[in-house]
Amino acid sequence: MGWDFLKSSFVFVLIVLGFILLLLAPRIMTVHNLGGYYTPKTEMSYKENIQAFIHDFQTDGFGENRYGTRVLDELKVFIKRDLMIVIPSFLLSILGGIFLGIVQFQFRESPFGKIQAFFSWIFSSVPDFFFYIAMQYALIKLFYVGLPQFNLYGSDKWYSFILPMIAVTLYPMLHMSKYTFTSLENEVGQDYLRTAYAKGLRTLGVLKHLIWNCLSSLLNQTQFVMLYILTSLFIIEKLSNYFGAGYHLYGTMINNEDPRTLAFILPYLLIMFATIILTKICRRWLVPQRSGEAR
Amino acid sequence: MKIITFIRHHFLFCLGMLMFLILLFFTFFGEYLPGIDRDLKEIEYIWTDKKIPLAPPFEPSEDYLLGTDRDGRDLLSLIVMGAKETLLIIISITIIRYLIAIPLAFLAHKKSLGIHHLVSWMNGFLSYIPSIILVILLVTLPPILTSETRLLYLIIVLAALEVGRVAEMFRLEFSQIASKEFVTGGNSIGVSNFRLFRKYLLPFLYGKLLISLVGDIGKVTFLLGQIGFLGIFITQVFVQVDAGQFAFFNTSLAWPMLLLNSYNDIRSAIWIPFFPALAMTYVIFTFNILSQGIQKLAK
Repeated sequence: MGWDFLKSSFVFVLIVLGFILLLLAPRIMTVHNLGGYYTPKTEMSYKENIQAFIHDFQTDGFGENRYGTRVLDELKVFIKRDLMIVIPSFLLSILGGIFLGIVQFQFRESPFGKIQAFFSWIFSSVPDFFFYIAMQYALIKLFYVGLPQFNLYGSDKWYSFILPMIAVTLYPMLHMSKYTFTSLENEVGQDYLRTAYAKGLRTLGVLKHLIWNCLSSLLNQTQFVMLYILTSLFIIEKLSNYFGAGYHLYGTMINNEDPRTLAFILPYLLIMFATIILTKICRRWLVPQRSGEAR
Repeated sequence: MKIITFIRHHFLFCLGMLMFLILLFFTFFGEYLPGIDRDLKEIEYIWTDKKIPLAPPFEPSEDYLLGTDRDGRDLLSLIVMGAKETLLIIISITIIRYLIAIPLAFLAHKKSLGIHHLVSWMNGFLSYIPSIILVILLVTLPPILTSETRLLYLIIVLAALEVGRVAEMFRLEFSQIASKEFVTGGNSIGVSNFRLFRKYLLPFLYGKLLISLVGDIGKVTFLLGQIGFLGIFITQVFVQVDAGQFAFFNTSLAWPMLLLNSYNDIRSAIWIPFFPALAMTYVIFTFNILSQGIQKLAK
């Protein structure tokens, strides 16, 4: 376990370093007059850029934004908003997805299960940005008809996080449900299930057996689910005017505010790292180490 | 009768094919349809009943089925006229991705030139950082930003980004086939690596290749949509407008371009980003259904 943890941390550090190197590629351009031709040219070389970054970082940390607020202070506010979406969305994707998968598996022969499979397939083909816009368009139309109005944009109301959260959760949840369904279906016909049925276990009891055996492969998906949520968050925050770190990240990248970009991306990377570590811990505690040891 | 049974057995494939044909029809013949404005005429304003000039964008109405954009161009015409370019971009990204990924997968399988390390590092990196962020960082590099062939670079960046994922998928396939006896046979009579790749391994993958290629077209469309919303797509050219002044100009009708201003549009004229996004969703649907259909057909 300790060795595993060290290895993951090492990979994490390498990835952060790789990202910084990519970030520091010279981007700021000035226009030079070369005998009548005006050509845009980068201001500093790669090496100078890196040296300047290290120097700034040593003297001033992540620095201040344009309006004189410390970057770390503004980050605290943004991250809180981000986590309001990320944590519920992650839990909902994993738990809701597994639940939906089980329901679909249980009723796979009946019309209900087929309808559910159909809808989950349709919705998993809908891109998040379209789903979000469609949701807003529909709500605007509904406001005309007489739905009580509420604020669709921004992040200052207590309910602001709900709409973006739904848009962000949709795809990972359906992915999880599909994955659960497939891995449950793969277990069908195994001997231990026949034994369980022969011993007279009811559906729920058998399902419990099944879940424990699938848990290992289900836990493999946590990293993908989190990555998807963060990617989606980046777009949806932009569309919904939700002022989280993702919303500001794009602006910092375009405006070449390197330390600020780094400050805003680091929480994302840390969330990914935490997901990986938590998954490893969960696997150690929950998943039977050898086959046949399942509860 | 045979046709009906075929349709019943391969419903998804037929539906996907039908949707695909509709897409192709609108792409190539759409501009000749009635109601499509081929010149994409711009309207400065229209007069309302009370003789008040009204500036675009106009809402969807009988005159403009899907509304107009901010220049007063008919949105339906814009989408139809832009389809050709959009599909071309999407398909070339996908094909370039596979052209790079398949040889890489073989080299990674053979563990030569350290390609397997490269592939696993690419995948590791992308399983941490959202690919869209990497796209932004790469595309805003000055050599690409100011290049005249910016679109070409963008296509290559988008294609290369997920090469690792595809390569890893096919590496696993290669290792699976390589454990078969006929490959051992080939090895024992000393066939070259290239022949092994061309004649022994690849023919078994044509089916899988087609399925995942068609499925990937949907994924690329999705990525293109995201990029469009962020406003970094694009086929803009960086032009000197005056001494020392530079600006981006749009030269393209591709769908992501219509999403470019979505940040403002979504609050005032939501139909402008809505319908191009709908068109992209249609493309994603078509290719997802088609990929599933081919998969069932192959069984």
